[in-house]
Amino acid sequence: MTNITGKTYAMNAITPMKPWKTWILRGFFFLLGHIKPLQADLVNLSFIHFARWVVIRRDSFPRLSAAQPAEDLQYDYLLFFSNFNGTWNQYIDAFSAVLGKGLNLVWFWSEKYPGAVPVTPFKQYIARVQFETDFYYTAYPHATTNDVKAAHRVQQALDTLADGSGNTSPAEFEQAYVRFLVSVQRDLGSTGLAPIGV
Amino acid sequence: MPNESGSVYGLTILSPIIDDPHARISHDLQLRMHLGALPRGEDSPFAKVSSTHMARLTVMNDVVYVGMPACEEHLQSQYLVFESNFDGDLDTYLRRMATEIPDHVDSVWSHCIGYPGAGDVAAFESYMKKCQLTTTFYFADVNDKTVQQTLRALQTQAAVASFIERNQGKPAAELQNAFTKFLGKLRAAPDPRPGSGKDQSI
Amino acid sequence: MSKLNETDIQGFVLRGYNFPLARYMFLHLADDDRAGQFLDRLLPSITTGEHWDDGKPDSTVNIAFTHKGLRRLRLPAASLLSFPVEFLEGMQARSAVLGDTGRNAPERWESIWREERVNAWLGVNAMSEQALESCCADMLRIMEETGGASVVGWQDAAALKVDGQLTTKEHFGFTDGFGNPDYLGFERSTQPGQGKLMPDGSWAPLATGELLLGYADEGGELPVAPIPHLLANNGTFMVYRKLHQNVAAFRRYLEEKGRQYVGGKEKLAAKLVGRWRDGTPVELSPDSPDPAIVMDKKRNVNFTFGNDNAGTRCPIGAHVRRTNPRDAFGFEGRLTNRRRITRRGLPYGPYAPEGAEVRDDEERGVAFMVLNANLARQFEFVQQQWIEYGNDSHLGNEKDPLLGNRDEGGSFLIQGTEDPKNPPFLCGALPGFVELRGGDYFFIPGMTALKMMSTGTVDPR
Repeated sequence: MTNITGKTYAMNAITPMKPWKTWILRGFFFLLGHIKPLQADLVNLSFIHFARWVVIRRDSFPRLSAAQPAEDLQYDYLLFFSNFNGTWNQYIDAFSAVLGKGLNLVWFWSEKYPGAVPVTPFKQYIARVQFETDFYYTAYPHATTNDVKAAHRVQQALDTLADGSGNTSPAEFEQAYVRFLVSVQRDLGSTGLAPIGV
Repeated sequence: MPNESGSVYGLTILSPIIDDPHARISHDLQLRMHLGALPRGEDSPFAKVSSTHMARLTVMNDVVYVGMPACEEHLQSQYLVFESNFDGDLDTYLRRMATEIPDHVDSVWSHCIGYPGAGDVAAFESYMKKCQLTTTFYFADVNDKTVQQTLRALQTQAAVASFIERNQGKPAAELQNAFTKFLGKLRAAPDPRPGSGKDQSI
Repeated sequence: MSKLNETDIQGFVLRGYNFPLARYMFLHLADDDRAGQFLDRLLPSITTGEHWDDGKPDSTVNIAFTHKGLRRLRLPAASLLSFPVEFLEGMQARSAVLGDTGRNAPERWESIWREERVNAWLGVNAMSEQALESCCADMLRIMEETGGASVVGWQDAAALKVDGQLTTKEHFGFTDGFGNPDYLGFERSTQPGQGKLMPDGSWAPLATGELLLGYADEGGELPVAPIPHLLANNGTFMVYRKLHQNVAAFRRYLEEKGRQYVGGKEKLAAKLVGRWRDGTPVELSPDSPDPAIVMDKKRNVNFTFGNDNAGTRCPIGAHVRRTNPRDAFGFEGRLTNRRRITRRGLPYGPYAPEGAEVRDDEERGVAFMVLNANLARQFEFVQQQWIEYGNDSHLGNEKDPLLGNRDEGGSFLIQGTEDPKNPPFLCGALPGFVELRGGDYFFIPGMTALKMMSTGTVDPR
């Protein structure tokens, strides 16, 4: 059992929703997907590589054979999967501090959801609806999403410098190199291990 | 498509786990033990399916009871959850799983109901799609770069930092010379290995 | 907001005393009723946050306990278990979380900390040697007469004398002690830049509960606290860390890199720290120190980083920008307001004047203390994420250039511009400038709680 590989944490959560509320949530997600500013906070927080919400209707759990008993449920369920950087507490603290309103719109429809603020009951709720990950793989365990984005900026700046450095004089190259340095100077942090969660 | 963001695909699979009252160790427990022992680094099966950015496998043994006044209910089956974030389209990815890591795929999904085996690629694809859930909302922070591009970029970043340090304060001609050599070396360097968590030094 | 009862709060929590001398005594408590008797006898000597209408006293006394100490005071099991887990474990057990590994690992700590024999911290601050000795003698007498506590070690600390003048400098030569947060309800005059940043750009005091238990915090709830309320109210948690400073290594590094850096040695030092040695914030005055700013309380902590995202004034990895990022992470500072800490402490060891011969194995450093309501959310977070790691600042695994725990050599980048007078500069092969020699987590109870503890009347639930 491991929720953590390298710098990334795999969170799974499942919450019950009254079926009529599912449609409201779908409407919200439709808006979220089509109105970019709503996503901006998620992008600016910059500690999630990938995340998804999956609504599963009570009658649509995969059934592969007649011998498999059909599910008999009153609730629809909202599944949440996140690949985030940082510790569990840090992640939820930041969510609560910055994304509270957005999160409330997502989970408000789930039973017993206490709201994202204050953070203590919110954490208790997440802890209750979270389930653990048995196996977790990431292709770049040594990198956070900040690291990845910084690396791509460095790559692009290097390619630009390389493209322009073919037939330049040393003095011209030096000028271009300084411009390159200035353009990557925020993006050179090393990769490696992450701190331990508490 | 709600399962996609840019060039990244978010696959969610829920495969019902076999419930065999005669099993000495139940299939969900066998699965947990198997998954817990799978290598996670560069020897991981998913490092071989090299378009995988991140993937997880876990047993979801029930839904959660959140307490009064919500009502208590339970699943009839346990499910294997497979969550993967990869480059390209679903068909190609499933085919790569079936052809590049068939033994691993079989050893996991053989605990699931109706699993046809990876040997029959078409049957495997069709099985996986029957187990697939459509994502309602998918977020990918970097959604225009492949795994290989990202690994390369991370390698470049580390190499560039070290180049800058080594060549700080050098005269222009020397700097240009060093840069040309550096660029050659960097471009000739082998592709970094997915899952290794290391940048090969240049 | 409820009014603070200053006479129920230990004075050390409410104010930095600004006394030149201190002795921190580390006590082992008796494992029986005598520990409570000692505390009961000590109570009248303890300095509270009372107003000093008749002028400053000659000396002050304050006390704090480790979890082991609270057990020796026979707190009820329900109370002992209700403390947050990081306090229950103590600082040594948290070494992996804190990055206290390698040269900062507990194996290398002084024996009283390694062996966890310290049950209580008894802090005496004093105006003069005579006042210090006389106060400490009183304390020892109480310990002897009651048999409730014994001294297993102590740390003397004192403001540094530079050219015969008392200063607020630390051993690397920087003027220290700026930027403790303001809290609601505290009488101290507030300074712009010291609380939390408001959306309109003004500054407001932090919620009292970021420091004191029993009051609302920035998250809109009461801080996690032990039961019952009376045990927790007006108390706080303290971190004690003995930080050794490698002054020779620091000076050598500045000399060497200062020759390569266009700005020279002093500017390099300023860029590492984020303040010039006289205290001028680099963000406000990137090219030279400015005593007018240092003297001006409306300016010396009043700055933000939001207009310096590139770090070309104050580098992104500079010590003060890491440990108090203000608005550097956007969201109007909401990601930083719950990570603030109040710092106390004094240097130990004699000041080595510039140019004097100095060795790293000489006893020299700072007795560093942190006060906060939640050790995990505040101190541990700052230490783990902002000092020993760089992701929040988008600096990957880079550590704080000054405090980072390293023996392998790290790097620090001074962001610059295309102007040849202010070029980017990479400081590589950073040595470990600061090393941890020990310490622990303490609870500083309010006066009511101390009385209950000394008489064994904490409600057992």
